[in-house]
Amino acid sequence: MKGFGYLIKEGFKNVWSNRIMSIASVCVLISCLVLTGSAALFSMNVSKLVDEVGESNETVVYIKDGYSQLEAVYVGKEIEKVDNVQSATFFSKEEAFEQYRDTLGDSLFARIEDRNPLPDSFIIVMDDLSKYEETVAEIQKIEGVDPDTILNRKDFADKMTRISNLVSVISIAVVAALLIISLFIIANTIRATMYSRRFEISIMKSVGATNAFVRMPFLVEGMVLGLISAVISTGLLALVYNGIGLVIENAQSIFDFIPYTSVLPYVLAAFIVFGIFVGFCGSFMSIRKYLKMEGNEILGW
Amino acid sequence: MIDFVNVSKIYPNGTHALENVSLSIDKGEFVFIVGASGAGKSTFLKLIMHEETPTSGEIIINGNKLSKLKRRDIPYLRRHMGIVFQDFRLIEKMTVFDNVAFAMRAVGESGATIKKRVPYVLSLVGLQDKMKNKPSELSGGEQQRVSLARALVNNPEIIVADEPTGNVDPELSHEIIELLNEINSMGTTVLVVTHEHELVREFHQRVITIDRGKVIADNQKSGSAGYGDDVYSEYDDYEITDDEPADNYGGDAYDDDDDYGELPQYPDNVVIVPD
Repeated sequence: MKGFGYLIKEGFKNVWSNRIMSIASVCVLISCLVLTGSAALFSMNVSKLVDEVGESNETVVYIKDGYSQLEAVYVGKEIEKVDNVQSATFFSKEEAFEQYRDTLGDSLFARIEDRNPLPDSFIIVMDDLSKYEETVAEIQKIEGVDPDTILNRKDFADKMTRISNLVSVISIAVVAALLIISLFIIANTIRATMYSRRFEISIMKSVGATNAFVRMPFLVEGMVLGLISAVISTGLLALVYNGIGLVIENAQSIFDFIPYTSVLPYVLAAFIVFGIFVGFCGSFMSIRKYLKMEGNEILGW
Repeated sequence: MIDFVNVSKIYPNGTHALENVSLSIDKGEFVFIVGASGAGKSTFLKLIMHEETPTSGEIIINGNKLSKLKRRDIPYLRRHMGIVFQDFRLIEKMTVFDNVAFAMRAVGESGATIKKRVPYVLSLVGLQDKMKNKPSELSGGEQQRVSLARALVNNPEIIVADEPTGNVDPELSHEIIELLNEINSMGTTVLVVTHEHELVREFHQRVITIDRGKVIADNQKSGSAGYGDDVYSEYDDYEITDDEPADNYGGDAYDDDDDYGELPQYPDNVVIVPD
């Protein structure tokens, strides 16, 4: 198309001359993008966590209160006899106490050092994780095993997966609502620009500008709004994500977050595609009405 | 070049804006279209520009039937025409140059062509020294000349001027029509809608008179006998017998919505008299 550069320039000019509405559109679109991005990153981290947990087939079995360490060792022998148990490693309450203290800090544990509340336990490795349920049921029957306290990271993984699914569903609903709001706001922004430029549109049409030509600056405007939102959202999401990551990593160090830098190109690309798409659709929706009008109808005379 | 064959236009509100109009305008002609407010002049122009479609009948421009015209081809039809509006329709924030260039940009002309063509066209209308001025810095007559330059810049075959002198001082009206006459002498077909009968008389061109949707007079151009001297001239004026304002005559400013309202009925105190 001849005069393409001119049309692009006009699109950028529209964004500026209509800046209040442009800012409103960008803000709503940013909310939409940051929320979508947050939900996606949360899901990615949960999948990573679930994968990591799935790879380790360790299960912790607590020994009932009142059992001496010697008695506990006998319980361990019984556990080892169960089918599918590859090994049962004793983990004393003292060792457990030390580990918690290392992780959570001295101050909390100094006061309760003399009355360690933690039980003795065995760390069990199974041969075949698919037989997990049956194996656990067998172990629970053993005298001395606390049947309610078999700690299984797989349970944890399942729980996390359920939370992740719930978050996904909620995110999809929120993002869908925000998407509609974004489309509506962008469509309104473009409509405001078209209204302020209706005079020019009517002249363009009267001198024989094609609909594609009339449409172009407004589509560019919508897409520029989408692009600006995408870039700001990528930066904002980095702040939010790294902030939350820092808080969680300070609290406990068992899980490594996916570093933002490793996903940044994908986030940026996805945001740009999404932002431009929403901008384009929003513009397209409002232009249709104007393109059907003729002469003074456009001017409202 | 422009043919109307039994063209009628009835608006959705029931207004009969044009009734069974048949006429033919040849290439290179200069035609005045006159008539009272609400007579159907604006509808006539809108039909030519294909802003409206006829309820019945056929309009043929350059051999193309407009009823067969596809929607996407409308812009290309309009590129054969240059439109001059009564209210100039210049973009205030743009300079004179940009206002004229805008029409070229809208049809996708390159920057180099625009730079060459716009000053040339502005010199044709005598505004080569005002290229950098804003419309608000110009007189009414000058603004209309900018509007004319914009209509001319894409080299149209037809110039359609809707009350081009309606918003300029009477002494400058002559100048505008003179300019259109010069453009016509270069081969461009010119259609001028006006209600200024004095002006029409001066220029001895073809005059089509529309009244209540019908062509009631079509006096061809004649070398010596001008408009007002022949048999149809009885319709060209109305005598007002008392102080009643002559609004219904169309002598007031802008009558764009005239086709949408009810056709005016001449009040009892207005009688049509021969010149």
